[in-house]
Amino acid sequence: MVSRPGAGQLTATVSTKRPGPASAGPGRRGKLASHARRLLRGRSVGGLIGKPIFWILLVLFILVPCASSLLLTISPHLFDQQAPGQGPQWFTLTYLRQAFTGATAIAITNSLWVSGAAAGLGLVIGFPIAWLTNRTTLPGRQFVFPSMWLILLLPSWLPALSWVRIVQVDGVIYKLGLNWPWLSHLIMGPFGVVLLLGLRSVPFTYLAITAGLAGLGQEFEDAARVHGASRAATLRLIWPMLAPAIWSALAINFAEAISDFGVAATLAYQSNFTLATYQLYADISNFPPSFPSASAMGVLLVAAVAIPLALQARALRGRSYQMLSGRTRQAVRRRLTTRGKITAMSGLGLFYFVSLAVPAFGAVSTSLLKNFGSSFSISFANYRALFHQADQLGPLYRSLAYGAIAATVTVAGGLIAAWLLAQRRQKSSRLLDFLLLAAVALPGVVFAAGYIFTFNLPIMSRLGINLYQTATLLVIAYIAASLPTNARVLVGPVSQLQPSLRDAARAHGAGEMLAWARGVLPILSRPLLMAWLLTFTGVFLELPISQLLYAPNNPPLSVAIEDNLSNYATNFGVGMAQSVFAAAIAMAAVGVVLGGYRLLAPAGWRRIGVASRG
Amino acid sequence: MAESISIDAVSKEYPGGNLALKDVSLVVEPGSFVVLLGPSGSGKTTLLRCLAGIERLTSGKITIGATAVAHDQLHIPPDKRNLSMVFQDYALWPHLRVRENVAFALRRSKLAKPDARARTQAMLERVGLGQLADRYPNELSGGEQQRVALARALVAGTGLILCDEPLSNLDADLRERMRVEISALVRESGATAVYITHDQAEAFALADQIGLLQDGRLVQFGRPEQIYTEPATPFVARFTGLSGELAVRVAGQDAASADSTVEIGHDGSALLRPCRARTSASWASGGEGMLLVRPTGIHLGGITAGDHHLTGTVADVAFRGRGYEHAIDISGHGRLTGVFAPFRAQRGDTVGLRLDPAGCHVFPVAARDHAATANGQAAATNGHAAASNGHAATVPLSDVGPEFAPPAQQH
Ligand SMILES: Nc1ncnc2c1ncn2[C@@H]1O[C@H](COP(=O)(O)OP(=O)(O)OP(=O)(O)O)[C@@H](O)[C@H]1O
Ligand SMILES: [Mg+2]
Repeated sequence: MVSRPGAGQLTATVSTKRPGPASAGPGRRGKLASHARRLLRGRSVGGLIGKPIFWILLVLFILVPCASSLLLTISPHLFDQQAPGQGPQWFTLTYLRQAFTGATAIAITNSLWVSGAAAGLGLVIGFPIAWLTNRTTLPGRQFVFPSMWLILLLPSWLPALSWVRIVQVDGVIYKLGLNWPWLSHLIMGPFGVVLLLGLRSVPFTYLAITAGLAGLGQEFEDAARVHGASRAATLRLIWPMLAPAIWSALAINFAEAISDFGVAATLAYQSNFTLATYQLYADISNFPPSFPSASAMGVLLVAAVAIPLALQARALRGRSYQMLSGRTRQAVRRRLTTRGKITAMSGLGLFYFVSLAVPAFGAVSTSLLKNFGSSFSISFANYRALFHQADQLGPLYRSLAYGAIAATVTVAGGLIAAWLLAQRRQKSSRLLDFLLLAAVALPGVVFAAGYIFTFNLPIMSRLGINLYQTATLLVIAYIAASLPTNARVLVGPVSQLQPSLRDAARAHGAGEMLAWARGVLPILSRPLLMAWLLTFTGVFLELPISQLLYAPNNPPLSVAIEDNLSNYATNFGVGMAQSVFAAAIAMAAVGVVLGGYRLLAPAGWRRIGVASRG
Repeated sequence: MAESISIDAVSKEYPGGNLALKDVSLVVEPGSFVVLLGPSGSGKTTLLRCLAGIERLTSGKITIGATAVAHDQLHIPPDKRNLSMVFQDYALWPHLRVRENVAFALRRSKLAKPDARARTQAMLERVGLGQLADRYPNELSGGEQQRVALARALVAGTGLILCDEPLSNLDADLRERMRVEISALVRESGATAVYITHDQAEAFALADQIGLLQDGRLVQFGRPEQIYTEPATPFVARFTGLSGELAVRVAGQDAASADSTVEIGHDGSALLRPCRARTSASWASGGEGMLLVRPTGIHLGGITAGDHHLTGTVADVAFRGRGYEHAIDISGHGRLTGVFAPFRAQRGDTVGLRLDPAGCHVFPVAARDHAATANGQAAATNGHAAASNGHAATVPLSDVGPEFAPPAQQH
């Protein structure tokens, strides 16, 4: 889901209601700037007060929930949890042990192999796409990059639901007169789950391999050819240079697949194929809930995510393949033969067909069918219903607001965190680094569970923190879940501009504020904008955190859509219309923001961004 | 073992219509060390990559040894051309150890394992890296990496070695040492070498033959001494080191003149009295020209002797160990730089400058626009070549004026 993608995720830090380093309000940007600046100097009054507040918020909203989601299973008593029939325990391994038996064991086993297969599938599809677009004269290659972002931008439950709608017994294909039970069986089962999760990991593979290929200058190949290697021998020689990219693609793919909730809660669930994330969710939302089992599942999931990421980091440490080279020659693109072109383009076409066209067709067609299940006539009744029933439009506005607030706060907080991270010398920055890295590895559903465990605690209300089941907590959770990725994404640009640029601006006579506006903001404008967009779209259609933490009677968009969809007889079409409309809004938002930036930002800002992106 | 090279009317157009090489022809004797010299973007790398077989020709023909390797219907891939190359960024495979990097080039000689190993080790010793054979490239300094690249190029004993600005990423001191090493090792190997640089001092120091490229064309090809004393075009003269330029009028050409010099008139120019300058053009009396003056063509003196051609004011003086280099302002006619004297002339002093025809070249003003008529017929090089040493190198390359773009000289 939108949850913790290495590349896709977002942000946040601090509630708007709280006096915090990034509190919103008039001149927010200015305040943020001066705050970050003080943090940078670490000495001023603002720094003295702001820094502890930042850390308190970090601990309360990231560290504690993360820790609770994992600790509850071994110490239910800590959370005032009465273990059924066993009494409160300070320390027990019972639940953890139970996780290796029964339904939990099946779910985690399913998740492990499905994610492994999906990671492999993502690599097998994504690698050739990355190679074709970066190293050949494939026609239309310039559209591949944006399309990958499009796939990342849509939550995984959307295509999954569409597929279900198309292939399920009595689904769209049957209405179209295609009586293909084999397809239903194929998609509605492990194969379909692997397929969808695999397609979803193609963008991660694509981004990782593209980065790898970019570092693989043409000279390495030329040098091999010149010194006597045939084309095949050259490939054999240099492919290990891509190994780091391949391993990180596999690790990210796997982590993404096993953390995914969107496919688990839709296609997999409806195929009676239980995955770990869904099992965790069920443990919490079934009655009676079993928090300790949910937490045990959380531990297993985190291990499953963290272990490959850690192994990969370890394997790559010490041996950097990146050779510093100022003028790596641009790689020569292989000219594809006509046959090669046809093959490559049909392969690519098939990929887009399965990952974008079919889901789009499924969603749009279903949203246009009045009363799914009876007639097969096209109408806009569902869209009319959507706009005329207040309770259908409400979630949309709500999620738009949540997304905008969360994205804004997250980007601000992420910037501050990135600033702290960039100061490598300090101990606290290393602690922060670890904290954020750990949080990135936590699947969204585990993170949300931690929020429930933590803010459900009696001690919270005794402390006067009554956030459980409020929209505020939901937004804070969005923010906290997105902050780690955002901070890590922003560290790159932020550490590049460390203080010399600002000093340069000041040295040439600009005031502090102006120094920021002139020297720093332009460089950060594009990364900040991209971070904001990613957070916004991620939150707008986020599912697992929303499902677990939404305030009753105030469902966010994804929850409302799920409700409609599960209300088969009456509201399915409206749900689909809502999905289509939401996806359109997400894409329009991206278009408007990027287009606005292009029109409004000074030309120089844009150039910086483009250059640093390349 | 050494291969000859024949490049015949080679053109190369990159996709997108960029014509990087235009009708380049040259012949390289076996075993000679050829330096391709030219400003950035002049097509040096492109020519080298065409030789290596990494790029395909658009037209023309390349022969290495007795084998045609590229022409209209033929493109022999790089691995079949039996050559080796040192890359500007070294292009060491980062996942292979130093030893493996070097040994890779031996694969095609199909040696037995122990032989290959011994030869690799010997080569590494030869470049002074015997101790570092088991390191990875990113554990080496820039100079060490360059030596590995050199060892890789030399180890197989190929008849042709190509080097693309191998020293450009090194600092000045190391560059000088590596230049000597490369020269020694390559000559010792007996291979023919084609070496690229945009640094004229490096070119003069290394080359048996220099080819000057400008804008995709080969504008002159010859021995370093020839290039220095008989520059074919103003561009060549500028690129290989000038003190400065003066607008002049040619008084007349003595058809019988043995040393291809002409008399330069002194009315209306900076000159106080007539002087002589080398030329390869034929002049009508009164023709307008540019007098390009090498640092070696100026002698600094007082004004009392009365034999000077110019007077000027000392704008700057720099101590250079062997003597002093002066920048002299010629009132109303710009500045001459790198004017050498064994003594120091004080800033602000008025000095007299005597011009030596051997270091003065006059080109028709119109040479900007049409082919220079210079050809190999220019006069014998009268021992002056000995002066074309490092001294010339101190002339800033910024003297190279972009507005001069004489088309290629015919070969
Ligand atoms: N792959 C390419 N595609 C298109 N044009 C190219 C390509 N490689 C080089 N060129 C162009 O061809 C011309 C010659 O380039 P080349 O690399 O041969 O120059 P060079 O003399 O080696 O310059 P430098 O000293 O900067 O290395 C330049 O105008 C360059 O922009
Ligand atoms: Mg070059």
